[in-house]
Amino acid sequence: MTDRFPGYDVLAKRRTPSWNEPTRQVVNRRLAVPREPRFLTSDLFVVLDAVCQRIVPQPKDRPPVPLAALVDTKLFTNLQDGFRYAEMPDQGEAWRRGLAALDEAANTHYQLGFAKLGGEQQDDVLRRMESGELAGGALGDMPAKLFFEHRVVLDIVTFYYANPTAWSEMGYGGPASPRGYVRIGLDRRDPWEAAEAYEGDDAKARRENGFVG
Amino acid sequence: MSADPFLADPFVEPRAINGRAPDVFKPGAWLEMSQYDDNDEVDFVVVGTGAGGGPLIARLAEQGFSVVGFDAGAYFRPLEDFASDEIEQQKLYWLDERIIDGANPIRMGGKNSGKAVGGSTVHFAMVSLRFRPEWFKSRSQLGYGADWPLDWREMWDYYRRAEKALSISGPVNYPWGPHRPRYPYRAHELNGAAEILARGAEAMGYKWTATPLATVSAPHGDSPPCVYRGFCRFGCSTNAKQSQLVTFIPRGIAAGAEIRDLAMVGRIDTGPDGRATGVHYHRQGRWRFQKARNIIVAGYAIETPRLLLASANDRYPDGLANSSGLVGKNLMTQANQAVFGVMDQEVRWNKGPPSLSITEHWNYNDNKDFHGGYCWMAQGPLPVEWASIVTGSRKRWGAPLREEMMRYNHQVGLKMVGEMLPDERNRVTLTDEVDQYGLRIPRITYSWGENDKALIQHALGEMHRSMELVGAKDIFRQEDDTNHLAGTAKMGSDARDSVVNADCRSWDIPNLWICDGSIFPTTGGVNPSLTITAISLRTADRIKALANRGEL
Amino acid sequence: MTNTRPTGDVATAFALISGATVLGGIALALRKPNAPADRAQTTVRSARRLNRAAGTLAASVLVDSAIEHYRGNFHNKAMITPLVTASLSLAASLHGTADGRGEAHIIRDLIYAGAGLTGLVGTGFHIYNISKKPGRLSWQNLFYSAPLGAPAAISLSGMLGFLSERLRDNPPNKPPTILGIPAGRIIGAMTSLGLMGTVGESGLLHFRGAYHNPAMYLPVTMPPVAAALLGASALGKSHTHRPITRWWLRATALLGFAGTAFHAAGVGRSMGGWKNWRQNLVDGPPIPAPPSFTGLALAGLAALALLEDHPDD
Ligand SMILES: Cc1cc2nc3c(=O)[nH]c(=O)nc-3n(C[C@H](O)[C@H](O)[C@H](O)COP(=O)(O)OP(=O)(O)OC[C@H]3O[C@@H](n4cnc5c(N)ncnc54)[C@H](O)[C@@H]3O)c2cc1C
Ligand code: SF4
Repeated sequence: MTDRFPGYDVLAKRRTPSWNEPTRQVVNRRLAVPREPRFLTSDLFVVLDAVCQRIVPQPKDRPPVPLAALVDTKLFTNLQDGFRYAEMPDQGEAWRRGLAALDEAANTHYQLGFAKLGGEQQDDVLRRMESGELAGGALGDMPAKLFFEHRVVLDIVTFYYANPTAWSEMGYGGPASPRGYVRIGLDRRDPWEAAEAYEGDDAKARRENGFVG
Repeated sequence: MSADPFLADPFVEPRAINGRAPDVFKPGAWLEMSQYDDNDEVDFVVVGTGAGGGPLIARLAEQGFSVVGFDAGAYFRPLEDFASDEIEQQKLYWLDERIIDGANPIRMGGKNSGKAVGGSTVHFAMVSLRFRPEWFKSRSQLGYGADWPLDWREMWDYYRRAEKALSISGPVNYPWGPHRPRYPYRAHELNGAAEILARGAEAMGYKWTATPLATVSAPHGDSPPCVYRGFCRFGCSTNAKQSQLVTFIPRGIAAGAEIRDLAMVGRIDTGPDGRATGVHYHRQGRWRFQKARNIIVAGYAIETPRLLLASANDRYPDGLANSSGLVGKNLMTQANQAVFGVMDQEVRWNKGPPSLSITEHWNYNDNKDFHGGYCWMAQGPLPVEWASIVTGSRKRWGAPLREEMMRYNHQVGLKMVGEMLPDERNRVTLTDEVDQYGLRIPRITYSWGENDKALIQHALGEMHRSMELVGAKDIFRQEDDTNHLAGTAKMGSDARDSVVNADCRSWDIPNLWICDGSIFPTTGGVNPSLTITAISLRTADRIKALANRGEL
Repeated sequence: MTNTRPTGDVATAFALISGATVLGGIALALRKPNAPADRAQTTVRSARRLNRAAGTLAASVLVDSAIEHYRGNFHNKAMITPLVTASLSLAASLHGTADGRGEAHIIRDLIYAGAGLTGLVGTGFHIYNISKKPGRLSWQNLFYSAPLGAPAAISLSGMLGFLSERLRDNPPNKPPTILGIPAGRIIGAMTSLGLMGTVGESGLLHFRGAYHNPAMYLPVTMPPVAAALLGASALGKSHTHRPITRWWLRATALLGFAGTAFHAAGVGRSMGGWKNWRQNLVDGPPIPAPPSFTGLALAGLAALALLEDHPDD
């Protein structure tokens, strides 16, 4: 994947008027999340970690986001969504069953634990879950498809895109208070926003991205 | 941050206690606030401080009544508490568990339910529209839904008052409907996403306009003008947004009302005469009982019926105000489908309030083969929400997801707000599971009807065409989204088929009132909060008039 | 906490700028009364005053267009033009204000003519810009697209300077005329029109601001009266003494500075205050705009003096 916003780091704005104190604290807390599992068993946590790497393969050149730890923390602190599908158990239970089911399916099809499989094989198992092919076993009566769409993908993806690494790679302005934006029309960029590299003119974008802070 | 723990965490202890409440405009400052004893029989208890409850709390207090407003949510200080962060700001939402089912379950939480002093208006998108006059009589004039017992001309005047109280920033001339007076503030500048909507509308030959919004385009009182940070649906950290929290609530406190934050009302009691006597509420770790002469329920379309149903007793075994059997029924949401695409230009749609332009075209051109109206607006989802749309609608994950997310700054979209028809099968009931307060949690059942589907498909087609005409590429549809809620305690002119009358007074219990989004007999094809606020202002006037005649 | 509105900054800015305004006012008020020794001197003096007026306008345009076009990222190279012409016009005006000679200066003339032309071309550009926006000539675009009235300010500066040079062209010891019309009359009339145009611009922008502060009515009430009084003087009897017109024009000149103070306070009370200057200086009320009233009022005063010094009827 080519870097469309070379040299852009949303964290460079941390000390500018784009970030207020509550935002700094929130992001600091997120970046400092304990890396050890607090809700899942370490066995399931290993599976979760492997799943996270397939759902969001992370960029090599930016700080990695501790996705498994963030999802585990969500379960540990029981941060809820405000709703539960009638067919679904509560989120903690859903994750426990779902991860176990992935391990189970990996063993059935490849005779190895999910975390030990190669990427292609892991994707294959995940796709079996996504299509609803997996059923019963550790899943119990939980529909695999619903679990995949509304727990696996949403929980993991949500946490990835709530991180400076993701904001930087997508050229998103990030936190914006008290300073918001001035130039809001088409093809307009505030000097504190990411500059995109066009037709290989990386140098110009990189230079401009050096000044966002 | 201050060392004062009350400042540090609005969830640990209530902030509106000891005769004072937070001054939302000044860091660390307080407002003096009246305080009533649980045994004082106050004139009004208002359950919920949102679009429906807020104006009533203020207006009733201004008219000299003793008022206590309860909210299960926290009393935020936007300048100090609000981060620019999609996850942290979920603290504004009603995240307690609710069970959803039906053919098209409604996803709850941030999409439709707030839990804070100020209610959902603390994180709403500020779009402040009037109903089309015919919608108040859609049964008799348009042949679907139900008639409201209200006259649109009277509503036109209350809309004006609501717009003034909320300092709405709107266009100099609004292109649809009967004349309306000038908005108190001028419309905001269009962002790139809003300009794309305008170009698309012009290419289709439709009118468009800058959206009337409840965020100021110039200073107002202690509110600075909007800084176009675009986190509106995650709480406005500048107070530019004219939520209930910064408008009617401070007004109410100044006029002598008491607000109780972190106070969950679990049950309404009735006396031997069948009248309501007060509310049981949970605050600071224990249950208490507040006596009241009148109770107004304004908890929105899920919590209002939940409370009424949960208050069932020997005299009212089916729940309060439920002789019609309609409490909890006719739940409506609004269709919120969207069409997205990619532009060559940099749009950067996260800048500014999300819906800066609108076309209401279809509401005023009825040659279509379904009932109801819709409008569509410009969009600006932030990364987490955008990722959920891309994964949900396009089933992306892995590298393709990240690749697609990198086009964020070029992405553009149109999102509808569409009228769904009332149907008694869409409803709120109670389950046997209980929540953290020990209260039974609600089950929300929803299925789209044939008309709903036809309307959605029509809107998707129109929005799709608009996106094509502006040259958007890689266009896709988000087919499953819904937003605002309505219904479940409908207003009407006959006790047999409605829960409250035109004054929001329940037919069954004369001192029990319901005034929020749940009284809507139909939901109309525009965002609801201005209508809720206008009705709330009207109800306050009606209560005063009834009190003057000794009819309370 | 850094995320709160720094009221201290507002107060400081307000105090500084109000102080400057008061000082400027005193300086203006204490100027030597007009007691012309001989007629040639009065003509040159008036010309110099016009240069000063042109310079004030040019300064206002320079800073205002710098900020506005910076907001526009100078995405079109031509957006640098008003900065160059306004700077030149400012320089020419400074030179002219200091120049006591009784003849026009070719370079100044060229610069002023250029400024006049730039304003016209700029207006054209801005009209073109609006015509491409959805909604075309709508309130929305009048509020937020390239401002139609703004380039006219540089034209006005050029016009005042140009008139100043024509004034200097007049032979000494004869009542000065421009194009055969008594100079005081033509300058008074043109300035009066210029004032009305500027009123239109500020009326539009204050309408956009919903007149949220009653003081916002001042620039749409005081200057029109000044324009009317000045217009009446320009068209009416010339040897009447006009104290009301004079004082009204002086008040209008002060209003320009006061506007700047108000606008600075407005920037201070925007979210983030002066710490967020990169946003608020651009998005807030334009600090450099109001002195264009001062420039025009100064030109009006010069015209008034000419009328009184050279009665023609
Ligand atoms: C993300 C989002 C965007 C929106 N955007 C718009 C928009 O742009 N335009 C528009 O018109 N509308 C919008 N809405 C909808 C609008 O906010 C609601 O329709 C409106 O606020 C509903 O008003 P209400 O008074 O019925 O309920 P609410 O405003 O939700 O207030 C209900 C309050 O009651 C409290 N409560 C409930 N039950 C209890 C209880 N038992 N005890 C104590 N307290 C209780 C809750 O905590 C809550 O604070 C949006 C909503 C959301 C969620
Ligand atoms: S864009 Fe405006 S209304 Fe929205 S959060 Fe920012 S300041 Fe508030």
